[in-house]
Amino acid sequence: MTPEPEPELREALLAAVPSLRAFAISLSGQVDRADDLVQDTLLRALSNLHRFEPGTNLNAWLFTILRNLFHSEYRKRRREVEDPDGSYAGRLKVQPEQGSHLDFEDFRSALAQLPADQREALLLVGASGFSYEEAANICECAVGTIKSRVNRARIRLASLLNVDDIEDLGPDSMTRAALQG
Amino acid sequence: MTVDKGNKLARASLDNSSSSQLATDPKLDSGSQKRIGDQLRAMYDELMQQPVPDRFKDLLDQLDKKNGGKEGSQ
Repeated sequence: MTPEPEPELREALLAAVPSLRAFAISLSGQVDRADDLVQDTLLRALSNLHRFEPGTNLNAWLFTILRNLFHSEYRKRRREVEDPDGSYAGRLKVQPEQGSHLDFEDFRSALAQLPADQREALLLVGASGFSYEEAANICECAVGTIKSRVNRARIRLASLLNVDDIEDLGPDSMTRAALQG
Repeated sequence: MTVDKGNKLARASLDNSSSSQLATDPKLDSGSQKRIGDQLRAMYDELMQQPVPDRFKDLLDQLDKKNGGKEGSQ
């Protein structure tokens, strides 16, 4: 009766771990918490194997589980901690360094300032390689909603990172303009 | 000579949208969009390349072995 994880399935689950971790870390902003999330995801997946339809996208299924766990835990924490703002961004806040090089910290902190629904939509579509349709399934919303969230996330990131502010690009803007023109 | 100045243009096009673009849902110009996408993927790739922590291998190994007895309660 109990579905047993077969060797291929074990390999498939293991193979999914790096992308699950990347998603969880980007979603939560914390490696420890992300690893707990991934572990809970694997455990839940294993105990719900009977619900997985062979032949469908295993990764999408796992991402759905992880996302649901993240949100239920998030809601729980918000209730427990006196932190009505759910200050994910606050925890993650890094001292803004005015370095000229591309720094992932800057990007991460900008990402952290996005509303959660926009962040996850952008991560699913822009980084994890899911289609808009798959992302919509994972987030249980309409495709148009995902598109709109991804779009708004990009615009917000561009403004946070000054990507769209030509004045801030300095001399380099000439080069960029030339390259783009 | 209204061309060039990629980013300024993009913003301007939000205002006087001579195109059929919906005014309610502005889009980022493709240059900015590409830069955002590149940074996102670069950050993500770095995370993806981290080695898988042993705890996950151990977890799957364990479940592999003791499966069958454990979850039979349903």
